[in-house]
Amino acid sequence: MLLLSARFEPSAVASRRPRRSAYAQVTLAAAVVVATGLAIETLRPSWAGFGHGLATGAVHGGLIAIGWLVGTNGVGWHGPAVRCAAATLFAAIATRLSPWGALAFLLVPAGLIYETRGCAAMRAIGMCAARPAHLLAAVAAGGFLGLHLLLTASLTFGYRVHTSPAVYASALAYDIGANVLSAEWLFRGALLTAWWRLGSFWPAALATTALALGRYLLDPALPAAPEARAGAVFYLGLVGLLACSLRAWSGSLLPGFLASLAFFAAYRTLTP
Amino acid sequence: MIALPLGLIAAVATAMALTGQGSDSVLRHLYLAPTIWAALSRGAIGGGLAGGLAGLLHAPFALPAVERAGLTSRSLDGLLSLVLPVLVGLLVGHLVEGSRARADRLRAVLALKRRLDGQCPLEDALGDVAEILRRALRARRVALVVGHDIRSARVASVPTGSLVDTSCAAAVTLASGQAITSRDLRADARVWADEAPGASPLRGISLPLVSGSGVVGAIAVEWLGEPPRGARAAADELAAHTGLAVENARLTIRQQRFAEELSEKVAAATARLRELDEAKTEFLSVVSHELRTPLTALQGFSELLLRSTLPPEKARRCLVYLHTEACTLGRIVGEMLDLSRIEAGRPLELRPEPVDLDPLLERNVELFATEHREHRFRWTSSPPGAAVHADPDALDRMLKNLLSNAVKYSPSGGRVGVSANPAPDDPGMVEVAVEDDGVGIPAEQLPRIFDKYVRVPHPETAAARGLGLGLSLVKALAEAHGGRVEVESLPGKGSRFRLLLPGLKGQF
Repeated sequence: MLLLSARFEPSAVASRRPRRSAYAQVTLAAAVVVATGLAIETLRPSWAGFGHGLATGAVHGGLIAIGWLVGTNGVGWHGPAVRCAAATLFAAIATRLSPWGALAFLLVPAGLIYETRGCAAMRAIGMCAARPAHLLAAVAAGGFLGLHLLLTASLTFGYRVHTSPAVYASALAYDIGANVLSAEWLFRGALLTAWWRLGSFWPAALATTALALGRYLLDPALPAAPEARAGAVFYLGLVGLLACSLRAWSGSLLPGFLASLAFFAAYRTLTP
Repeated sequence: MIALPLGLIAAVATAMALTGQGSDSVLRHLYLAPTIWAALSRGAIGGGLAGGLAGLLHAPFALPAVERAGLTSRSLDGLLSLVLPVLVGLLVGHLVEGSRARADRLRAVLALKRRLDGQCPLEDALGDVAEILRRALRARRVALVVGHDIRSARVASVPTGSLVDTSCAAAVTLASGQAITSRDLRADARVWADEAPGASPLRGISLPLVSGSGVVGAIAVEWLGEPPRGARAAADELAAHTGLAVENARLTIRQQRFAEELSEKVAAATARLRELDEAKTEFLSVVSHELRTPLTALQGFSELLLRSTLPPEKARRCLVYLHTEACTLGRIVGEMLDLSRIEAGRPLELRPEPVDLDPLLERNVELFATEHREHRFRWTSSPPGAAVHADPDALDRMLKNLLSNAVKYSPSGGRVGVSANPAPDDPGMVEVAVEDDGVGIPAEQLPRIFDKYVRVPHPETAAARGLGLGLSLVKALAEAHGGRVEVESLPGKGSRFRLLLPGLKGQF
């Protein structure tokens, strides 16, 4: 019991926080790459979406790097963050260059697991195993929300459940290696943990969910129709809160990741 | 038991779908019953979850209606049915949690007051009190520290087995009386934790236990993850009650100890009074016997002298007897008068002067040897010039009392030794020792033998006469001279009395 067994110094200073310049470095690097990608996309449309891939990879790589920065309190984050961001960038470009290139997204979670092994700070943000019961509950809850989305969208707006296997597999790989991974890593991992430590759980969960929602709403891939935006707010809000609850319940990021993945697995089958 | 209400909500939605009813179906009201059930059994989280499920399951009925007909009263009713179960679940759960928390707190207060009722030592009760607090606060760990300093305080923690650092947060609270709060003990710079931060924050709070006499201890509570709603207020309230209960328990224990001590003292005093009463009764009986014996002799011999004309030789013997008995009577009356004077707190009238011990001892030994021919007396002459500064009459009475006791409590043929020497263990004092090889005195009786009216019963000396005043008088007289009397004795081996009196200055 730390209140009894650990030495206490009332005047000790607060623990170290990452410097603002570190955030600025990551943001600037990501912005430069995104701008480059967009420029390439505009100037060289014949490059088969290379620029788009560059921009997508930079956004998700940047989110993962910021997650490293927050999670490690700015200690020893450079190397792993750059390597993970580079892997994301590579996968995003590979997706655009080859039909099988999306499989490269699977390298990102593998790389993240490799980089975080044995790191106590990363275990603290939830990079650890979870119990099977937590995983099953997460898949059931995420799947339920996904199916509910399909049902509601088809009954309300007449959307159809149809997709080609290749496109579906590619989208799923993107979710695994970038879309869901970066959101869970940064919002439900690093930020939720840091803010929960500073205050109460539910305010931290609502704040991180709102941030994640903002990130999704800024995604140009999201349909611009108002009903689609309203649906995104509703369902992604629920998925976000579900992932936060699962993170608190299980202590691991994995159940939240699987719940989001189950939801997106259903969402990717939807065709307007 | 959240699965059953959730299953019922799913069953309601299935029934609505199977019967092909719309969003305004009367069945939608059935969502509320399992939602409230979940709220009652699982609080706000359970109620919110059940209400959320009900809303989600109702959405496929309500949203298409909104899309088809726009915002009509029917579609608005359908939308309200989406939101209402969530609100009801959260509200009912919130109220239930609040009332349960209050009830738990009240139960905990009663339980800890019952446990700290002072019927058992505080250290035995602290572990149970910590467990009561842990359950009431739904905490991972709770520790109670009772005392004013961490080094000497009693510490109880549940689960048991925590080490105590003398500079820990609880010690700081104990010393300063200040509450300490940490949002995550493992990531708090003030805490020198050897544990890395975990996936959930380890909340901690250390509160002082305050009573009327100040800080009487501290309570340390740790929660893993989110503490229950209102945990801080509950901890404050329980700490206040615990502080008062600890103080009350201490006072009760102290009061009980005081009452026990008082009872023991009263019992001892009662026994002593009973003893004194018995001694007085015995004393009166002995006094009447002791006075009657010489009086009877005086009456008998005086009547004989008055009624008959005796030859001069016989008359002289009668007069000798009369004189002896009159002396005995005078000695008894003298002793009683001296003792009454001592009891009244009046000083004895002594006329101290240098007294040469040899003639005094020799005279008394010869006197007793003449009267008690069956005993063997041995007198060791003193070093040349041995003398004390004392009242000769008082000294003579002390010596006679000691010799009389030696004779009374030793068998026929027993030896009685008398000697006078400088006290080996007390410079400037002279030791007059009277020893015998009589029945001796049991060790438990030794502290009492100088008390008044005390006679040590022994079957071999039951016939010995006496008031139980002799040794008491010897002690009083010795102390009046600035000396003392001591005894060493072994039952069956004999006794040795040492009369220690101040010697003449520059004698030894």
